[in-house]
Amino acid sequence: MSALRVADVHINRAGLPVIRGVSLVVEPGSVSVLLGTNGSGKTTLLEGLSGITPIAGGAIELHCEAIHGLRPGLRARKGLAHVEQGRTVFRTLTTDENLRAASREADLAAAYALFPELERRKDVRAGLLSGGEQQMLVIARALLTRPKTIMIDEMSAGLAPVIVGRLMSAVRRLAEQGQAVLLVEQFAALALSIGDRAYVLRRGRLVYDGPCAALAQSHDLLHRLYLGDSSASQT
Amino acid sequence: MMRASLRSAATVAIATLVVGGVAAGVLPGYWIYLATAVLITAVNLLSIGIVEGRTGMISLCQLSFAGVGAWTVGYLNVAGAPGGLPLWILIGGLAAMPFGIAIGLPALRLRGINLAIVTLGFASAFDAILAANTFPGQTQFLQVPRPYGFDSDEGYFLFVLIVFVLIAAALELLAGARLGSSWLAIRHSERAAAAHGVGIPSAKLRAFAISAFIAGVAGGLLAGYLGTLVADNFTMFGSLSLFAVATMAGAQYAEGAIIGGALVTLFPELLRRLNLPQDLGNVLFAVGAVQALSTGETISESLRRVRGRLLRRRATETVVLNRADLPRRRDHGAAPALTVRDLSVCYGAVVALDDVDFDVPAGSVVGLIGPNGAGKSTLIDAVTGFLPSYEGSIELQGKALEGLLAHKRAQLGVRRTWQTNRIAPDLSVGAYLMLASGGLTTAQLRAALAWIGRLDPDQKVAKIDAATRRILDVAGVVAARPALALLDEPAAGQSYDEALRLAARIAEIPAVFGSAVLLVDHDMDLVRAACASVTVLDFGRVIASGPTAKVLELPAVKTAYLGVDETVAA
Amino acid sequence: MPGGQARPAISGLMMNLYLTAAVAGLAAGGAYALLGVCAVFTYRLVSVVNFVGAAIGAAGAFAFAMLVEQGLPIGVGALAGVIVGAAVGIGVGAIVTKWFAESPASTKAAVAVALLVGLAAIGLRITGGQHPHDFPELIRGSAFRLAGVEVTNASVATLALAVLFTLAANLFLDRSHTGLQLRALSERPVAAELIGIPVHVLSLWVWGVGGAATALALIIIAPQRAPNFLALSLLVVPALAAALIGFFRNFWVTLVGGVAMGMIEGLASVIPGLGEYRTALPFLVILAVLLWSQRGARWDDAR
Repeated sequence: MSALRVADVHINRAGLPVIRGVSLVVEPGSVSVLLGTNGSGKTTLLEGLSGITPIAGGAIELHCEAIHGLRPGLRARKGLAHVEQGRTVFRTLTTDENLRAASREADLAAAYALFPELERRKDVRAGLLSGGEQQMLVIARALLTRPKTIMIDEMSAGLAPVIVGRLMSAVRRLAEQGQAVLLVEQFAALALSIGDRAYVLRRGRLVYDGPCAALAQSHDLLHRLYLGDSSASQT
Repeated sequence: MMRASLRSAATVAIATLVVGGVAAGVLPGYWIYLATAVLITAVNLLSIGIVEGRTGMISLCQLSFAGVGAWTVGYLNVAGAPGGLPLWILIGGLAAMPFGIAIGLPALRLRGINLAIVTLGFASAFDAILAANTFPGQTQFLQVPRPYGFDSDEGYFLFVLIVFVLIAAALELLAGARLGSSWLAIRHSERAAAAHGVGIPSAKLRAFAISAFIAGVAGGLLAGYLGTLVADNFTMFGSLSLFAVATMAGAQYAEGAIIGGALVTLFPELLRRLNLPQDLGNVLFAVGAVQALSTGETISESLRRVRGRLLRRRATETVVLNRADLPRRRDHGAAPALTVRDLSVCYGAVVALDDVDFDVPAGSVVGLIGPNGAGKSTLIDAVTGFLPSYEGSIELQGKALEGLLAHKRAQLGVRRTWQTNRIAPDLSVGAYLMLASGGLTTAQLRAALAWIGRLDPDQKVAKIDAATRRILDVAGVVAARPALALLDEPAAGQSYDEALRLAARIAEIPAVFGSAVLLVDHDMDLVRAACASVTVLDFGRVIASGPTAKVLELPAVKTAYLGVDETVAA
Repeated sequence: MPGGQARPAISGLMMNLYLTAAVAGLAAGGAYALLGVCAVFTYRLVSVVNFVGAAIGAAGAFAFAMLVEQGLPIGVGALAGVIVGAAVGIGVGAIVTKWFAESPASTKAAVAVALLVGLAAIGLRITGGQHPHDFPELIRGSAFRLAGVEVTNASVATLALAVLFTLAANLFLDRSHTGLQLRALSERPVAAELIGIPVHVLSLWVWGVGGAATALALIIIAPQRAPNFLALSLLVVPALAAALIGFFRNFWVTLVGGVAMGMIEGLASVIPGLGEYRTALPFLVILAVLLWSQRGARWDDAR
């Protein structure tokens, strides 16, 4: 049974089609990677899935239950977690409070076990944390809602390679514990190295759907996505 | 553009005069009397329209301003001042202006809501003042005389009609001028307006002062209408109710003001004839205002939309680029357009820029690239004056920019585009370009729009898609021909072919317009085509700088983009 | 010197007069403080500058007066008034939350103004326009004498209520789990919704609590005020002035500001030539606070 199944979803922004018929699945215990250039619609797609942006057509199922008619809050309570881009910590709340906001009887120990860095900073206001710590905090906060599927947008944007590596291995570990993960990434190579299935989005349509390993080896396609055509032809 | 606003001013004037003139000839006396009240209220609603509908602020004391105007007229009457009512009304309006300025000054910065609070406070204070004093002439029952020749009810109706037409037409003219466009820009985004060199507090203050003047005139008109005045004509609750009506009807347009005036005057009349309590009108206005706020469309805007649908638009003429008509190149000399030294910016514990050094030579197009979060937008914000603070130095043509506010930097020649859409949707394409460029001839305007992408100057910005708005943003910046143009991801949302065409245009900006360009974009084909040299940012540091083709082949640059060492991945 | 001995006596008399006037302003000050704290409460948690706050409270206060006129015991009537205040608050909150949750602050403020116009019109209609209702005193008698000045139980009660509400609001926001969720919600509504915080229910709850507290405050002070729906609704002016003193953030500063305004107003009422202008005081306070607080500001960050 797929954790998340998306069928032929369309999303418009200001009357213009941004997502034009995307279908994908995310399986429990695996990491699906969603790639694409700026403006290809990755963030809009995640917002449509979590309900922040309404969808214009198609279906979204979480564990075989249709959720596309529900408000974002209800989708969250049904087990779909969305970590937005830009590290949306509650800046005036401490690390500890950020985590407790997600769950009353929160077992913060589990969160701190995943990211021990955070426990040392638990009484610091989240606005004062480093970028890497903020990213860990929003992921940990989302996990405290006990999601069936977690979607993470632009996890490594603006973070140092060491931190990115740290986050990637944490994500891999989550999948190994049975979590379904949909990872939107810009650092294609690293994401592909920890992912199972890859999707590539271009102008609102999927142009690649297959194993990560195959895409990681196809250097031409990777270059065409990230450094433009002429670079790909030179390689 | 000026022609368009002249045309609409003339339309407003002629339509109102014709309808009004016919009404004066046909309507029975009582209705003429009511119609005069409609127009006086409409003048007052126009004064709210400037502040609310055009500039996006809330004013809750317009009847107090009217009270100042009326009090002044009453005083001049008691004092036997020369000139008669027309002159007294003008003086009454002028008397209200300093009140507007004094109240507006402290409130016009930071949050727009402050103006709502301070005007409500003034309305309440004015209530107290009126309660403690009588209007000049009130106790002696001294009537304010109507102007000679306009003293009958029909005559005074025509007099009020002329004043309304003058004000409405003047406002239409103003709407087409730079000040009117800046108001709409401010209403949509204060930052974007500042980036065009608009001084936000002064533009808002002028809107508020003009609004106070018009409200003062409305008060004077009321003095002539009623002859004697009492405090009840100018209560705080009256101001609040008028605000609701303006919000419902859309008082920034002449027809909205008249509709609003009719609602205020005629609805209670209707209720009276139906033997219903007259104060139910305020309930209707409240519901109407909430409805307009939730749909984002006032009555007059709905009417304009329907009218626009009925009158089929003329076919868009094909715009052909005539290069001779382009705005003349501006020579900015040979000094480097931009010199950045040791620039550092921190947000809390996050270092966004770390000791950045780089230059944009005169007459060049320099690319600035780097992965998301590398600090590119922060750098643009720092140069254009949109950061509260930074360390290091930024010089425009050798002049230090530190300590200058964003609109001052824009006036000196630092102009930018935005990643998010910040162009006011209520402006036409042509009016936006006039605002951004600071003034062009019609031929130059058409040429600039043809140069960037065959845009129709008469189309509303609201009607064009997000990608086209971005290139309009670019057109505005280059038409201003600044020393330095900073373009923040102009190609986002463009197709591959459009992006390459845009790249060719960007490459010729220095030769055609004289501006040096700093281009930020993710599309490497665009950067290759437009930029002779690039600077690469990663984690807030410059990791490479030099000729474009060479820099893009550097392993460190590929690493920054792909997230792994190129040699290892291969 | 013939007048030498009389002068201290006169100045003592004047002092006493001023003190009496200032203490007489305590009841109003307590009400301003409480209304101001409620305005801060609403602004901090649901980002609305609540122009309609006092009108919501007035609905509750008039419900109390009219029910007591119908023969209900005062205590029960007061409880019913508070419930009506909460209900009207939730009703207003439902409109704002349903249609304007995503709107900018200036739109929400405009909605609040429009709702004030509508609610006041309905209130005036139901409560018989300008005809005064007889407001029974919920709390009567004097509590004690301070420096020879009588302090009424009503003043003590409003002051105590204001302090209690401020204390409770602070404690609730800092210590309780719901308070924590409210702080998260006020900072990032979308992120809060995405981690499953019941955003709508909590927002309505804030409106309900604000309405109940305002209704109680107005029930206590209404007998000392012009018992007219509009006059009570327009107490929003001193309330917002007090909130502005606390920069719409700090409950305690708002509390002190509100009490101080009431006392200054009381003082002004006995100074010849000033008394009739005393209701202009909030305006002067607003001007002063804005002049002080806006020194370095540049533009509206919301847009």
